[in-house]
Amino acid sequence: MEKNKISEDSIKILNRRSFIIISIGVLLSFIISVRLFSLQVINFNFYKKKSVENKVSIKLTPPIRGNIYDSKNNLLAGSSSLYEFVVFKYLNKDYFREIKNLDLLIKLDLNFDKIKNRLKNYNDYIGFSVKRAKWEQIVKFEKNKFKFNSIKIIESKKRYYPYKNFSHVIGYMGQPTQSYEHYPKGVFHLEKSYENHLKGTPGKVFSEVNAKGKIIRETSIEKSIKGNDLYLTLDLNLQNYSQSLLPPDKKGSVIVLSVIDGSILSMNSNPTFDAQIFEDRENNKINEFLKDEKKPLLNRAFSGFYPPGSVFKPIPALLGLQRNLINTQTEVFCKGHSSLGDRNYYCWKKDGHGKVNLKRAIKESCDVFFYELAKKINIDDIAILSTKLGLNKEYDIGLSNLGKGLIPDKKWKKAFLEQSWYQGETLITSIGQGYNLTSPLQLATLYSAILNGGKYPIPKLDKKLPTKFIGKKFNSEHQKILINALNSVVQEPRGTAYKLSITNPEFVKIGGKTGTSQVIRIKESEREDDLYKSKEVEERFKDHSVFVGYAPYDKPKYIASVVIENGGSGSAVAAPIAHKILNFAYKNNV
Amino acid sequence: MFKEFKSLLNLNWIYFFILLIIFWIGEINLYSAAGGSFDPWASSQLIRFLIFLPLFFGIIILEPKFIFNFAEIFLIIIFIGLITTLAFGYTGMGATRWIRIAGFNLQVSEFSKIALIIFMAKYFHKLNAEKTIGLFKSILPLMVSCIFFVLVAIQPDLGTAIIILALGLVVIFYAGIKLIYPILSLTIIFLLSPLLWNLLKPYQQNRIQIFLNPDLDPLGKGYHIIQSKIAIGSGGLKGNGFLEGSQSSLDFLPEKETDFVFAIFSEQFGFTGSILLILLFFVLFLIPVFKTFKLTQLFNKIILFVLSFKIFFEFLINISMTVGILPVVGVALPFMSYGGSSLLSNLIICALILNFMSINENKRMFS
Repeated sequence: MEKNKISEDSIKILNRRSFIIISIGVLLSFIISVRLFSLQVINFNFYKKKSVENKVSIKLTPPIRGNIYDSKNNLLAGSSSLYEFVVFKYLNKDYFREIKNLDLLIKLDLNFDKIKNRLKNYNDYIGFSVKRAKWEQIVKFEKNKFKFNSIKIIESKKRYYPYKNFSHVIGYMGQPTQSYEHYPKGVFHLEKSYENHLKGTPGKVFSEVNAKGKIIRETSIEKSIKGNDLYLTLDLNLQNYSQSLLPPDKKGSVIVLSVIDGSILSMNSNPTFDAQIFEDRENNKINEFLKDEKKPLLNRAFSGFYPPGSVFKPIPALLGLQRNLINTQTEVFCKGHSSLGDRNYYCWKKDGHGKVNLKRAIKESCDVFFYELAKKINIDDIAILSTKLGLNKEYDIGLSNLGKGLIPDKKWKKAFLEQSWYQGETLITSIGQGYNLTSPLQLATLYSAILNGGKYPIPKLDKKLPTKFIGKKFNSEHQKILINALNSVVQEPRGTAYKLSITNPEFVKIGGKTGTSQVIRIKESEREDDLYKSKEVEERFKDHSVFVGYAPYDKPKYIASVVIENGGSGSAVAAPIAHKILNFAYKNNV
Repeated sequence: MFKEFKSLLNLNWIYFFILLIIFWIGEINLYSAAGGSFDPWASSQLIRFLIFLPLFFGIIILEPKFIFNFAEIFLIIIFIGLITTLAFGYTGMGATRWIRIAGFNLQVSEFSKIALIIFMAKYFHKLNAEKTIGLFKSILPLMVSCIFFVLVAIQPDLGTAIIILALGLVVIFYAGIKLIYPILSLTIIFLLSPLLWNLLKPYQQNRIQIFLNPDLDPLGKGYHIIQSKIAIGSGGLKGNGFLEGSQSSLDFLPEKETDFVFAIFSEQFGFTGSILLILLFFVLFLIPVFKTFKLTQLFNKIILFVLSFKIFFEFLINISMTVGILPVVGVALPFMSYGGSSLLSNLIICALILNFMSINENKRMFS
């Protein structure tokens, strides 16, 4: 045993070594402590955030979109239920085979590659919508339900448009395009411009999830908030009535505007389309509409731009009065044409009107009176006054395809045609032909400006918007002269629309102006062209029929602006439609 | 073979109670790892503890002479066990680490650490060196360590193998090898490290690469480290509180009941709790170490010091992995990680420590 007793030296060595080993242990402990301090104290916020991100899943619940109503609270756009085939990956590993079987059972015409791609990285626990389910498909599916573990039928909401006559105004919805968008959104007209107003706020379901994304428990719920409703100035009955009056085989539009506050009471365009097909994803019909040469998606009352024709005449007339170039006594002798340089400018009445004053010139729509007046007028002054009276303006009433048309002046011609202005063009412009392009809405505001004496309400579709006036008052004497002339168009014999008073004497008495706008100035050479001779082209080049009227004529409340493309003369086609519409509006106190 | 039964009363009760406290913390931790449930880990760990308890006390009253005499026999038994593991072992997770004995899946490599330390303690004791030890006299223990290292490394279980080798080296260092050799070998290892890199299995290389930059593979192999750091970091200064660790309760933390059990603890009890735990293990380490200063018998000194160091060392290596300052190599946290072999081997070690702490060197011991 004695020999196993180790020496004092050896013990000292061992004890010294133990201190070295302990020191290493202490050093390592210290390093760990520093590391823990860095993780848990210095970078605590960073890791806390990561930890919260790890465990919290936010699931959005779709909000209900706001409804759209007409001025009398009739529903124009709402939400209705729809059913979808939704696949949940976690319910069956073989979910993709089940989708294929579903397609075999119910012909859904699925794009498997696309679905497979989308599903590859899709959350196991969040449903993926495969396709909308129709009623008979649901019935068939329910009978075979036991074959599908991962597929369920889930209810969701879609937009519902009860009246197709409003599609031009309300527009339609489309699929989200941005990654931050979760739900279908408005992509056209009011649905688009009022998107933020209508869409509402999605609800949030906060849940704790585990590492696989499975929901352990729901921690809190924020309820979705329904979007705001939108109330329009349109009147359901008037809108439907106006639409029914538009000739079904012609392109055309109607706008009814309130003289008092600028409310648009009716806005029609023909041919029309049904926004519901976009909601129902009827792709065949959508393509048909997109390809149709008649452009049914175009709102012609808002973005159809035509030469105004004679309805433009009050502008040069007012300018003449303001510049003292004419007064009520000024007379011009119309012999059927007027000459400027070596060119003749013809009146629509070949034989001429004889002696014409301002009132007769408007009443009978004498062109020569305005040619003679135009010879003393600067085109820039016409452009300025037109702009003051509501033309050449964009009206942002919430519709897509904003445009302001064209009122020519010297600067414009120089810039765009690189030519100087000819006085002859002023003559053409003064009767509403030439380069002039105006929309039916702008024509309505022109007459609103005249009837309001220069300061007129901005047109609006949103009933809740306050009425705002623009423009400057002009001489009320001049206004009286103009209105008196415009009334005589319908109310006095030989007026271009006097026929209205005879055919429907019981209707509300109206004033207004007819217009027949030439679609194209056909050159002599083209008249010999084979193309022009064909009937189809003739139809295409037929004059547009224009009428802007107001009722009642003594205390105007409504303006109706009607354009029938290639409809022929204003008095024959557009005027009777406008008269009926004004009468309807007046009698029903829209 | 056994001491008198009443010698149990001479136990170092402080050490025993610290041990119980650590085991109790481990139990609480396993309970919270299961989301506030004794099932499946806490309960079965407790049952194992109770089953092992008679063995624990048996070892405490074992005559140290018996251990001294049978040191080589233990080593041979373990050696055979390691060979058997490789030949007939039960394979799990790409490694053959377990053999079935009497209904238990036993991880022989865990026990090889004890056998190796006892064997080497006896070897150096018998060497009876006057001063420092030369290289020649260290060759046999070094060879045995290396053989054990290789046998465990090819299972493959690199973590345990490294611990075995490190413990072997610690014994040689502690026993008094000339300082020049450790310094020289560290230099050589440093120079040869590129060569050693190529010897590693691809998954081991991967683990080290991802340790250096976990963001290389945040959802794959870097996931462990990233999620573990998130759990620990989100614990903050005071911790989220008992059972309030979302990282662990929501399954973000992989292997949370075994290698990453510290992350669960730290998420719940924060920086404060973690530091207290480190202190607790440090005290558990130091109590036997203080005893060694009073001992003169080399066998007793080595047994007490190195076995005590083994527990602290594994504790430090495990947390270093969890906090991301060492690569994830799979070392259990003593008394806290779920696992029978680890618990049993550490209980045996503590029983040996308690046994050797109550030793009376005045007696003639190892004749």
